[in-house]
Amino acid sequence: MVAFTNHSGGIFKTNTGNINVFSHTAIEDITADNHKVKTAFDGTSGKLQFSALIKDFEFPKALMQEHFNENYMESTKFPKSTFNGMIENIAAVNTGTDGTYTSNVTGKLTIKDVTKEVSAQGTFTVKNGVVNAKTTFVINPEDYNITIPKTVASKISKEIKITVDADYRHAH
Amino acid sequence: MKKPISLLIILISLGAFLYGYRAYNKPHTDVASTEAAETISASAIFQAFELDDSSAMVKYSDKVISVNGLLIRRDLNNKNEPQIVLEGNGYDGFIRCGFKPEYLDKIIALQDSTYIHLKGICMGMNGSDELDLLADKDVVLSNCTLIE
Repeated sequence: MVAFTNHSGGIFKTNTGNINVFSHTAIEDITADNHKVKTAFDGTSGKLQFSALIKDFEFPKALMQEHFNENYMESTKFPKSTFNGMIENIAAVNTGTDGTYTSNVTGKLTIKDVTKEVSAQGTFTVKNGVVNAKTTFVINPEDYNITIPKTVASKISKEIKITVDADYRHAH
Repeated sequence: MKKPISLLIILISLGAFLYGYRAYNKPHTDVASTEAAETISASAIFQAFELDDSSAMVKYSDKVISVNGLLIRRDLNNKNEPQIVLEGNGYDGFIRCGFKPEYLDKIIALQDSTYIHLKGICMGMNGSDELDLLADKDVVLSNCTLIE
């Protein structure tokens, strides 16, 4: 009988995670990045959380960033987006052994004080003790009370792609 | 009579186009050349957010703030935005300061446990009491420049 030892366990964390938001329409592509996403997961229970400051999404154009914060996200009133969920099959993610593992991630995404369930496949790549996690999912702005004025509706997609990419290290 | 009116319409249209073009292409805030709205210690700005996040957002967010504080560590894990961490409240509160990649060499040259003076745009306080793994807090500054 072969005994497998899964060296998963403990808290893995970073304050320098990336989240990209991307909107594609025939008229214009809009992209913005946040490189200071605070996120952590529990290698034993699979609990996964992140918190991102809305104002910290940087757009190529200052005007787009201004509209995003003031008109759509009201980011002074609703400064953060958070996610509180689970890596469903955490047992399959062996943080002690280099390799690539996949698991569904499900949980509650909160934007503008509106909380919705989201689910996506996550890819976890372990290398030299660093766990890189990547996932992509799509949200509809209307689901989170983000109202796009008719004058610019043709330039902003109803399907916003969210890409998360974070390098976690064991928290001491 | 028609000619002056046509000319006026053309001038107004041209003016509107130029205004729109300039607004669409206006640059991001240049922190280095912007005078700080306030100079404050790292511990004082952290305390302001800890006491009343909403009021501090109104007072400080989107503004260029000059901050003095003790450098706890450099965080170079994200190549897109090298960061440094200043002491906020002495245990689980920090000031996280992000820089453009071209500042990397200057950040590498900084010494831990020394006092740093910098300017940056205040983005708010990250972390959450509702998320147990993320209960530590960071007041976040972006597009920082060192004041030497």
